Amino acid sequence: MDCPDKTNSHANTLPRLDLTVENSLVPRFFLFLQEGVMLRTRVGCSVQVFLTEEIGASQDTIDKIQSIFLDGRPVDDLSAATIRDGSVLALSAAMPGLVGATLRRGGAYSSFRNGITYHEDSAHCASGEGFVQIKLFNLLMAELGPGLLKKGVYVRSSALMTFLSEQTPDFWQGCLRALLDGCAVGLQALPGNARVCCHDRLFLSVSSPDEKP
Amino acid sequence: MDKILRIDMGADGGPKASAVPMAQYAGFAGRALTSAIVSQEVPPLCHPLGAENKLIIAPGMLSGTTGAMSGRLSIGCKSPLTGGIKEANAGGQPSQVLARLGYSAIVLEGKPKDNNLYKIFINKDGVIIAADNSLKMLPNYDIVEKMKAEYGNKIACISIGPAGEMKMSAASIACTDMEMRPTRHAGRGGVGAVMGSKGVKVIVLDDTGMQMRPPKDPEKFREANKTFVEGLRKHPVTGQGLPAYGTNVLTNILNEVGGYPTYNFKQGRFDSASKISGETQAELEVKRGGVATHGCHRGCVIQCSGTYHDKDGHYLTKQPEYETVWAHGGNCGICDLDAIAMLDFLDDNYGLDTIEMGATIGVAMEAGLVKFGDAEAAINLVHEVGKGTHLGRILGNGAAFTGKAFGVERVPVVKGQAMPAYDPRAVQGVGVTYATSPMGADHTAGYAVAQNVLKVGGDVNPLKPEGQVELSRNLQIATAAIDSTGMCLFIAFAILDQPETFQALLDMLNAFYGLNLTADGVTELGKKVLSMERDFNARAGFTAQQDRLPRFFQTEPVAPHNVTFDVKDEDLDKVFNW
Repeated sequence: MDCPDKTNSHANTLPRLDLTVENSLVPRFFLFLQEGVMLRTRVGCSVQVFLTEEIGASQDTIDKIQSIFLDGRPVDDLSAATIRDGSVLALSAAMPGLVGATLRRGGAYSSFRNGITYHEDSAHCASGEGFVQIKLFNLLMAELGPGLLKKGVYVRSSALMTFLSEQTPDFWQGCLRALLDGCAVGLQALPGNARVCCHDRLFLSVSSPDEKP
Repeated sequence: MDKILRIDMGADGGPKASAVPMAQYAGFAGRALTSAIVSQEVPPLCHPLGAENKLIIAPGMLSGTTGAMSGRLSIGCKSPLTGGIKEANAGGQPSQVLARLGYSAIVLEGKPKDNNLYKIFINKDGVIIAADNSLKMLPNYDIVEKMKAEYGNKIACISIGPAGEMKMSAASIACTDMEMRPTRHAGRGGVGAVMGSKGVKVIVLDDTGMQMRPPKDPEKFREANKTFVEGLRKHPVTGQGLPAYGTNVLTNILNEVGGYPTYNFKQGRFDSASKISGETQAELEVKRGGVATHGCHRGCVIQCSGTYHDKDGHYLTKQPEYETVWAHGGNCGICDLDAIAMLDFLDDNYGLDTIEMGATIGVAMEAGLVKFGDAEAAINLVHEVGKGTHLGRILGNGAAFTGKAFGVERVPVVKGQAMPAYDPRAVQGVGVTYATSPMGADHTAGYAVAQNVLKVGGDVNPLKPEGQVELSRNLQIATAAIDSTGMCLFIAFAILDQPETFQALLDMLNAFYGLNLTADGVTELGKKVLSMERDFNARAGFTAQQDRLPRFFQTEPVAPHNVTFDVKDEDLDKVFNW
C-alpha cells in the first residue's frame, strides 16, 4: 500500500484542504470512500476496537456492517482480526445474491469461501500509530461517510483534481469555504496550485454548516 | 391457469392452436412445468433447432394474482447452447398477463413448413396466428413499437431479435416491462434460437377484460401477502441495498474479495471497478434524470432496477444488472459505464444474453481479435452479431464456440454455457453449483432459501469441506422450487434470514390453491424438478464428465489470493445423492 507518510514530521508537510459545503453536496465526496481513503490512526487493535474507537461506529452501525474485508479477505470474528500499519479495511452492508450471503461475517454459507477467509497469523503486532486504508461501500457511505470526511482523510491529489474538474456549477455555488493550509483558496484554481501539485496526496476534510455538532 | 395452449407451428395448412387440459401436468407451474414437459415430450437426442424440440413458456404458480413479486416467466426447451435441458426466466409483464388469460403455458411445437415469420396474438377471445414478414430481422425495440401501433398500449410482448431469427446459441427472448420496453430477457441457453426455429417472432398478450386470478381463501391470501411484503421491506437487502443500488452493488465487494473475474478470468480484481460500481452507476443515473429505484413488473416491491440515460439525458437502456456490467465491463477490461449501457441496449435490441456476449467478447479479446479495454471495438463486435456477418455468426454462438474458432484455451464455460460474474476459485462453493447444475454454469441455480430452514438432507456443518457440496445441493433444490412458484429469486434474501417470511410465502401458496404445503413439500418439489432435469440430460448423453469446471480453474491460481478450485471430482459427483 502506498502510505502518504511513515513519520509524523512528513505528514505535517502534506497540504491540508478544509472544505465547507452545503449539506446536499457531501454525498458527492462518497465516491472517494468506495475507492479507499487513508486514515492516520491507531493500529495494533482489533477490528472491533478500530470501528468503535477510531471510526466512532455505534453497535447499531456495526450490526449493519454485514461484510468486512481485511486485506481483501472476509472477516468473521471482528475481535480476532488485527488492524496493522498498512492494512486495507473495507466495509459493506448486507449484499444480495448467494455470494453476497457467502461473504457475510459468520454467515451460514461461509464455507463457500473457506480458501480466502481471513485468519489472524500469530505475528506480534505492536500498538501505536500508523496508516490504514479504509473503503466504504453502498449504504455505509452515507452511514459513516460524513463523519469520516469531517474528521479528515488522505486522498490522492490527482483524484481530487479529477473530481473537481467534473463538477457542475451547482457544486461551486454550494461550496462555501475552502482553506488550503488555513488560507482561503479558490477551488477552481487548485489544479494549478504548486503546493498541491508537488504532493501525491493531501489531507481533505469536508464539513457542512448544517451538520449537527 | 387450467389449460395449456399448444401451438403446432408445423401443422398441415399452417400453424394451429389448441387449448388442452393440464392432464398429467396439473399442479405444475414455472420451471417445474417447463422441465416436466421437456423431460416427458422432447426426445433427448433431438436437434435443439429441429421440429422435435418444444419451447415452453410458463408463468409461475402465483403469476396473475395480487401476490407481490410473482411475475417471473419460465421458458424451457432443449438448449442449443448446452445440448441439455434449459429453463431461463425473465421478469416483465408477460407472466402476469398470460396467467390472467388463463394459460398455464404456451407450448410451441413443430416447425413451419414455409419460410414465413409469424406473430401470435392472444386475448380473451382466443388466439390468432398470422404470417408477418415485415417483422423479419427487426430488433426488439422496433418490434414492440410495431405491435403497440397495431394492438395498442395495453399489451405485453414476448419477442426475439435478429439473433433469435438467425438461431444463434446466445439468443435470448425479450419480455416487455411496465413501460412497454423489451428490457427483460430470458437470456440463458439460447432459448431465443429455439423460438426462431419455430418461426415465431413475437407473441402479443392482451388481458383486457380479464380479472386478477382469485385465491381460494382471499382473506388468508391477503394476510399472507401482507406479511410477505413486510418481510421484504424490513430486510436490509430487499428493503435497502437492492432498491438503492440494484444488483450492481456487488461489484465493489466481489472486487475487494478478489472474486471479480477480470480480463477473461485472468485475475480477480479490476483496478477500475469503482468506476462501474452500483454506487457510481446509481449516482450517474439520478444525475442524468434517470432513476435508480424501479420495478420490472407490476407487483414488485423490491424495485432493484432503474433507467439509464445517456449524456444528453435521453433514455438509453434499463439499469444494467451486475452480471451485465461485469460481463461487458471488468471481464473485458472496460470501465466506461456509458459504453457498458450501450452494450446492454444492443444485447437487448438484437436479442442476446448479456452474460454470454460479455464472456464471448472476453474470449475474443483473449484471442487478440480486439484489445482488452477497447469499448468501441466491443460495441462493434455486438453489431457484427446483430448484422449476422461471418464473424458475428461465430460470436453469436457463444464463448465456447468462439473459443474453438479462435483457438483459445481459457474459455470459462460449463456444459457450453458461459460462467457468470463470480470466480469459482475465490468462492469455491459457487463453483460446485456452476459445475453440477443441469443448466450449465449458472449463478442463479443455487441461490435460494437457507438450508437451516429447509434442512434438506439433514443439518449441514458448513465448516467441514463437504459442507460446500451439501450446501450447493440444498441451494439447488430450493432454487428449483422457487423458480417453479414464479416468484422473483431476489425474495431469497429475505427468506434466507427470516423464517416468518418463508412461512408467509407458503401461506400465500396454500391460501391461493387450498393446499397444505410445508417446507418438506417445497423440498420434494425442488428434488422432483432437478431429478427430471438430470434424467433428461443423462438421456441426452451427459455424464459426470460434464459436471466439471474447465481445467484452468484447477491449474491457474487467481490473484490476489492465488487460489485454485480444489473441490475434488468425487465430491462433485455426490451433489445429487439424496
